Amino acid sequence: MQPDKQNANLRIAALVSVGKHPGSGRARRAEQDARAVEMGLAMAPQGLEVLHAGDPHAEALRAYAGMGLKKIRILQQGENADAVPALSQYLGESKPDIVLTGVRAESGESSGMMAYLLGEKLGMPVVTRIAEIVSIDNGQANLLQALPRGQRRALRVPLPFVASVDMAAAAPRQSAFGPASRAEMEAKKADVEVRDEVQASWSEAPARKRPKRLKVVKAKTAADRFKAATAKSSGDGGKVLRDKPASEMAQAVFDLLLEEGVIR
Amino acid sequence: MILDWLLPVLISVALLLAVAGMLKRISLWRAGQPEKVSFFSGLMAMPRRYLVDLHHVVERDKYMSKTHVATAGGFVLSMVLILAVHLFGVENRWLSYALLSALVLMFVGALFVFKRRLNPPSRLSKGPWMRLPKSLLMFAVSFFIATLPAAGILPENFGGWLLAAVLAAGIVWGMGELLFGMGWGGPMKHAFAGSLHLAFHRRPERFGGGRSTGLKPVDLTAAKLGVEKPTDFKWNQLLGFDACVQCGKCEAMCPAFAAGQPLNPKKLIQDMVVGLAGGSDAKFAGSPYPGIEVGKAEGGPNKTITEGLVSPDTLWSCTTCRACVEECPMMIEHVDAIVDMRRFLTLEKGNTPNKGAEVLDNLIATDNPNGFNPGSRMNWAADQNLRVMKDVKEADVLFWVSDGAFDMRSQRILRSFVKVLKAANVDFAVLGDEERDSGDVARRLGDDATFQSLAKRNIAAMSQYKFKRIVTTDPHAFHCLKNEYADLYPEGQKPDYEVLHHTTFINELVKAGALSLEEFKGGTVTYHDPCYLGRYNGEYDSPRELLNELGIEIAEMERSGFRSRCCGGGGGAPITDIPGERRIADMRMAEIKETGAELVAVGCQQCTAMLEGVVEPRAEVKDIAELVADALIEGDAPVSKKNGKQAKPNADKRVAEEIL
Amino acid sequence: MSDEIIRRDPRAEWIARNRLHPLHDAMQQAGAAETRGPSGLIRRNPHAVGFIGPNGIKRIDRMNGNGPAVGGRRSAGAAKEVELPLHKVENPDYYVVVVPDMVGGRLSGHDRDVIGQAHKLIREGEGAGAVLAVVFGEHREEAFDKAGVDRLLNITGEAFEGYTPELRVAALEQVEKEYAPKYWLLPDSVAAGFELGCRLAARIGERPATQAWQVSSEEAICRGAGGTTDITRKTPRLMLLAEECAEPIDETRHEVLPVELEASVSVQAVIQDCGQVAVDPNAIPLGEAEFILSAGNGVTDWNQFHQAAEALGATEGASRVAVDDGNMPRFRQVGATGTWVTARVYVAVGISGAVQHLQGIGQCDKVIAINTDVGCDMVKRAALSCIADSGEVMAELIRLANAYRQEVVENAA
Repeated sequence: MQPDKQNANLRIAALVSVGKHPGSGRARRAEQDARAVEMGLAMAPQGLEVLHAGDPHAEALRAYAGMGLKKIRILQQGENADAVPALSQYLGESKPDIVLTGVRAESGESSGMMAYLLGEKLGMPVVTRIAEIVSIDNGQANLLQALPRGQRRALRVPLPFVASVDMAAAAPRQSAFGPASRAEMEAKKADVEVRDEVQASWSEAPARKRPKRLKVVKAKTAADRFKAATAKSSGDGGKVLRDKPASEMAQAVFDLLLEEGVIR
Repeated sequence: MILDWLLPVLISVALLLAVAGMLKRISLWRAGQPEKVSFFSGLMAMPRRYLVDLHHVVERDKYMSKTHVATAGGFVLSMVLILAVHLFGVENRWLSYALLSALVLMFVGALFVFKRRLNPPSRLSKGPWMRLPKSLLMFAVSFFIATLPAAGILPENFGGWLLAAVLAAGIVWGMGELLFGMGWGGPMKHAFAGSLHLAFHRRPERFGGGRSTGLKPVDLTAAKLGVEKPTDFKWNQLLGFDACVQCGKCEAMCPAFAAGQPLNPKKLIQDMVVGLAGGSDAKFAGSPYPGIEVGKAEGGPNKTITEGLVSPDTLWSCTTCRACVEECPMMIEHVDAIVDMRRFLTLEKGNTPNKGAEVLDNLIATDNPNGFNPGSRMNWAADQNLRVMKDVKEADVLFWVSDGAFDMRSQRILRSFVKVLKAANVDFAVLGDEERDSGDVARRLGDDATFQSLAKRNIAAMSQYKFKRIVTTDPHAFHCLKNEYADLYPEGQKPDYEVLHHTTFINELVKAGALSLEEFKGGTVTYHDPCYLGRYNGEYDSPRELLNELGIEIAEMERSGFRSRCCGGGGGAPITDIPGERRIADMRMAEIKETGAELVAVGCQQCTAMLEGVVEPRAEVKDIAELVADALIEGDAPVSKKNGKQAKPNADKRVAEEIL
Repeated sequence: MSDEIIRRDPRAEWIARNRLHPLHDAMQQAGAAETRGPSGLIRRNPHAVGFIGPNGIKRIDRMNGNGPAVGGRRSAGAAKEVELPLHKVENPDYYVVVVPDMVGGRLSGHDRDVIGQAHKLIREGEGAGAVLAVVFGEHREEAFDKAGVDRLLNITGEAFEGYTPELRVAALEQVEKEYAPKYWLLPDSVAAGFELGCRLAARIGERPATQAWQVSSEEAICRGAGGTTDITRKTPRLMLLAEECAEPIDETRHEVLPVELEASVSVQAVIQDCGQVAVDPNAIPLGEAEFILSAGNGVTDWNQFHQAAEALGATEGASRVAVDDGNMPRFRQVGATGTWVTARVYVAVGISGAVQHLQGIGQCDKVIAINTDVGCDMVKRAALSCIADSGEVMAELIRLANAYRQEVVENAA
């Protein structure tokens, strides 16, 4: 979307967190947060403020700055502090028109509650998983919400609002090393710092592999269990159709498509 | 006689104008960034660089070499003598005779230049270059006639004022081209800029039979990273661009140009010249970038190159195969310039096209270009029982696995090589999960920050262990480790190991008799030289010797050795994927087909992937490691072979001879 | 006891002895393994004992037919639906409220898991708890009883149709007031549960456990940090549960007593649902697409291919070769060097299956190959392969798809 005059006065706050690569576990820019920044840059490059609550020295924040940001505002607080009070207080004062977040963080609890808690605290409506802000007119935003498998739902919501940005949103622009290393990290001690007491009692460990649920067969006899266990494997495996008329083969393919429910 | 006073005046004026033009040109170069060169030793070395190193390159084309020796030699000699005879008026008959013969030499050379220009191949630029042979002839003839009286062959006043006027006109034309044009941007600029370029070359190691192919590191703390404007180049790079003679040898070798991608190395260098002097490319008289019209590009010393002068697609089309650099008789460094400009696009603009950004993100987050879990780097070798440096701390050979570890096709090559190593009882170990991408792709895509980060971590990992040699199956990693890592070692430290490509290493093993191989049974075989093995590191022989050891007689392609054509897989080209009319790999496979080969041996996993990407039917593609592993005679230790049991015919003969 | 008298059937005996007799096989089958020999003794034919099992291995039924039905012989009893015991909660001490997604108006597998978890929590706790399911809008589920729903609160009304998160949260807030449930359980799903759960948690001030996958009344194990860590914590009141968090109910029936909210729910919703947007299957990003029709080197008629994709409603994909040849744009390329796809159904037309391509479709459930080469790797990977000219099969597929569409239209009319 082109930034037009209408959006010139629009003020957007994009909240960013330190992401975590699923493979290496290394800190990076979070994919959804980066999409939120991208959406903000596309909508209102002038009125965008990128906000982080936490450690101002986190290297991963530079990756957001590399998208072409002059500065990132950081509400400095300790590792165990709850980000919501600090952010809600700051946003309550700065009063942006749109607050963009990711759907779920890539590190920490990743509960996905941030947008909702902020919405509740700031008294702003929350829209979930948006893919695009189509337009803004008369103080109302027209949004597209991402649904599974590439489907979209159109929503209309009045400003100001909080929105979580889905992975279906426009991919973030590349982060360039030069601007990233030169951007200003404007750190300020958060006005409120609330220690997350609940979290302190949790124990955290690398994710264990979850066992795949087996097809449980409630059979009363050994013969039934035997049948259930063997029936599947004999039916599986590639079926090869050859030397048959094309219509017959096509029918078999089509039946499978119907069975899988992909023909709508 | 008129000429007696006119000639010295004309010569002086032409010389003064030429010098003024040269000073102006020098000021243009000086707008570039400072770069330390050894000024005097460079100037001192220049004649040798010109007469030996440059001549070696030109000598590949015997016709042009001889022509140039005659023309240029004749011109330089006659110019010196003209100064003596006509400017300073030294009256010596022998000197005049010498001048006459120099002019004859130049005339003969110019005739051949003229003949070449009668029906020039498309790679040659036209325009002012078509005028040059005529100017040369005019210069030689005019001065020849003008010198005849001084030599006493013709009477003093022969021909009267008419001939004098004609001669004066001819001399003005000749000197206008050859002296004035040298300073003010005519075709003869190449002589002036070229000689200084040779003196102040950015890679003096290239002269005297050396090789310098590693890219120069970026200072990451600089205010601007990479080259945005012509003035961001080093001054001697700008000088190098001016040395171009537009012979188009680069164009004829460039795989991207042949594939119809929007790159022509010659045009690129000329666009750099346009940039450094300011103006448009309207006067360019050679082949355009495929698909891009000539005359629309404009630039200036302080204008962003990629906005109006050169399209970013042009820069991203390059496979960094160095065919242009290898071929350039003026030793211009095209690849350096392209990567410098890419660096700006990636590091400052964040504009790496197509999958580039994703690959770089992956390299940053996972140390491999495809974003695989770095902890799974050793999964391919689960059944190989390899020794890991972390456990053994010391080994003769460090086997650098490279990112082929993640690719199922490349894993076959790796397994084959391990089989060979084991058969030869080599004491080797791998870095395992401590190994990272060599940084090759990141660096060629312009992301020197990521390259340096990867390299430094690799260096730190390697520094913990003791080994004498690194062997790798990946020529790209080979090149980085061998030529580019030394710049990034911590202050006061230097790499203390030798880096070898697996073909070199296996060849050594075979020569030392550590492997027993059976004869290759198969059809015709050709060999494809990987750019990063051949042109970058000069290793053309080991793979060929090794194939010969296998009893293979290579059906060489027309483009082989230092003229080998790229597979299209280098420089991040498959990642940036700039569309063309053909695919480079398809063209290469067509050349393979011309040899009638049923199998093409390669020494690079990237080449394997690119060539296997060609639609069948095509020649089978196998890495040399695979061929050797297939030919291994197992369970037959080389020691027992010496005892004369049984072995392959070749070795058998040798053994038999030994016994006799 | 007249049937005790042994009567010989010389013809049958003769047929039984004569293996070349046309009726031999039939007689042997009918008479199974035992026959009366000429002397009146029972003779057992060991070759005829047992039956061929599903794996093609011969199986001998040692219970001699007295076991439960195997094969088709005594299937009458098995086919009859077993009446499951009814689980009753007369006066529940507390409620565990479940808000199922009801995708398509029916309980999803995920919903059933969550209900199963609710019962697990009740079993572990003290007192008699009842599972109260809150269902919004009209539903089409008929088997709430077998899924384990003790009480059903069906909140209907036009206002609740469509995407109405604010209204639904208000209703759940009312449930909180009236029922004060011991636990709130929602599926942590993209469909609705995640959003509703988070909204509710923020509204009632509960800190939820999200992506909880192993929950007891004491502690809950949740996936954190984007699924890379396990957080073990005290079980909170509100939980968003991961799929397969618990076994669904399958051995009892439940009452499904309808309950009502006392107060009516009304709230001024500010989020306006403007309806679902029609999405062209080809506009769906390849990585997200559910159904991909992918073309390779074997496709010659590209118009037909595009027609087929349109008729089937599939997203188009391509192999590297098809892209390199300029027949398909680069962003359509599937594989390790293109896009890694997650489609449930992947139809590969004329793709032989290079390693990189197979890597890229690793996550696809059902692969269908249409190819002329039976030996190619794609056929080995595929669940169903057609060895035929792709053009012919695609033409037939277009015809079938169009006929199917026609039929649906007619049925609807």
